[in-house]
Amino acid sequence: MSSVSGWFKERLPFDGSKLQHLTSEPVPYHMKRWWFCLGGTPAYLFMVQVVTGILLAFYYEASTARAYESVRYITEDAAFGWYLRSVHKWGATLMIATMILHQMRVFFTGAYRKPREINWLVGMLILVTTLVIGFTGYSLVFEQLSYWGVTVGGNISKSVPVVGPLMHDFLFGGAQYGAPTVPRLYVLHAAVLPVVLVLLLVVHFTVLRIQGVTDFRFSDEDEGKTFRFFPDHVYTEIIAGLVLMILLSALATIFPAFMGPKADPLTTPEVIKPEWWFMVTFRWLKLMGITAAVLSMGLIVFLMFVWPFVDAWIVRRTRNKEVSTVVGVIAVIAITGLTVWEALVAH
Amino acid sequence: MSSDEQSPAPEAGHVDPKALGSRLLMGAGLAAGYGMFAAYAVRFLFPARQPRTTLAYVAHVDEVPEGRALNYTTSGGRKIIITRLGRGRAADDFVALGSTCPHLGCQVHWEGQNDRFFCPCHNGTFDRSGKATGGPPAAAGQSLPKYPLVVKDELLFIELAEEGLAAGEGRVEEPVATRGPGHDPCLYPRAFEDARRRGGRA
Repeated sequence: MSSVSGWFKERLPFDGSKLQHLTSEPVPYHMKRWWFCLGGTPAYLFMVQVVTGILLAFYYEASTARAYESVRYITEDAAFGWYLRSVHKWGATLMIATMILHQMRVFFTGAYRKPREINWLVGMLILVTTLVIGFTGYSLVFEQLSYWGVTVGGNISKSVPVVGPLMHDFLFGGAQYGAPTVPRLYVLHAAVLPVVLVLLLVVHFTVLRIQGVTDFRFSDEDEGKTFRFFPDHVYTEIIAGLVLMILLSALATIFPAFMGPKADPLTTPEVIKPEWWFMVTFRWLKLMGITAAVLSMGLIVFLMFVWPFVDAWIVRRTRNKEVSTVVGVIAVIAITGLTVWEALVAH
Repeated sequence: MSSDEQSPAPEAGHVDPKALGSRLLMGAGLAAGYGMFAAYAVRFLFPARQPRTTLAYVAHVDEVPEGRALNYTTSGGRKIIITRLGRGRAADDFVALGSTCPHLGCQVHWEGQNDRFFCPCHNGTFDRSGKATGGPPAAAGQSLPKYPLVVKDELLFIELAEEGLAAGEGRVEEPVATRGPGHDPCLYPRAFEDARRRGGRA
């Protein structure tokens, strides 16, 4: 045994105690509360997405002629294909949901304030990238929702001033939906954007590790009380992972992913609804003209990106740290309201 | 900053049975959970399930007399020739073969007097099981694909893979007459296609 480890040590002079030092970062005690660990949840779900996504890619065929049939084969014929596809679908839903919860926690605890503005920006980029991965993902099935979702998305991007037409042609691979569209959505969904996401996550975690998690102390905690990242926090994350796996399996079994009607460019569906995370955008679009909606949406997303700096300015001017909380509550009510509105009405 | 409050280092040689139990339980849970997932993934990668098939009605057995054949087109457009070889009324007394010659795609027909299938384009011949016996198909070792048949209550059904089948029903067609020289769809495919579209002959 020692000769084997000696053989490796000669070639890979790695010091185990350094790893121990790296992983035994003391974690503040408030991290024992689960809502402070919501950031690890989408990270775990992203790993689930990568694994199930690679498995699905074994059968998926990225062409307008074969996409629907290959997804049907996965869903109806391949062994456990229905399970893997459903886990992939529910994994995406939960990933976005937990990411939004994580962002809300960071927002309402003011964890984006100095010196953590950079990580808020990186986090926003992660959120936007994830939403685009979700959008390109459901576009690959080539059912009616996929086709008309991409068509609506293309029209929205087209109405962005200056760069719009260029973005539209890039997304479609031409002036309209055609043979190059599905392969390029697939490359974006399965190669380009996941790599971008991994790089953003590396930056996110590195900045987090350098700065440490935000200090908090609840009234029932002793001053400076900490626990170790490894093994204590890692155990918590493993348990969270198992619970998520059970939840995903249950959702996949009880509400599996079905095949919608195949994409038909000649038949515009009576009612078209995007996935829930785009319902707020969709309702916003219906409330005003497309250019006004796109510009105001762009302004809102821009404000979300630069909120740490806006907040710092407000605090400097008003000496009131609670303005941000009020803005956050209004934003949550507005987003939830628009989403529920879109979900409930037919048109 | 104290960092060891949650998991104090155990004394050497002493293992807390409660901690050991919970670790074993957790390890078993992890192994079972992710092991099951891995098993699903491996099963998924080996598509063992046969493609789904469906039975399509062809004709009453009496509609195909012994030694005669009928042409059948599936809803997906595949052409099949169904021949009654025996006097009995069981599925074994019939044979269903793809009627598209594997050589260049002409339609083969049944020659009862010669007990063979014949392709008029380049004199390809096949025995009653669809095996190539002469002409270019025999030289290339290309035989006619065979389809399973089922007889239920004297009704003849053909078993077809569901994949690739368009919605709708297959149809029995009038026997195609043997075409002589000058009407060879392999040699004059465009003329033949144009004529077919016009509803006449090339």
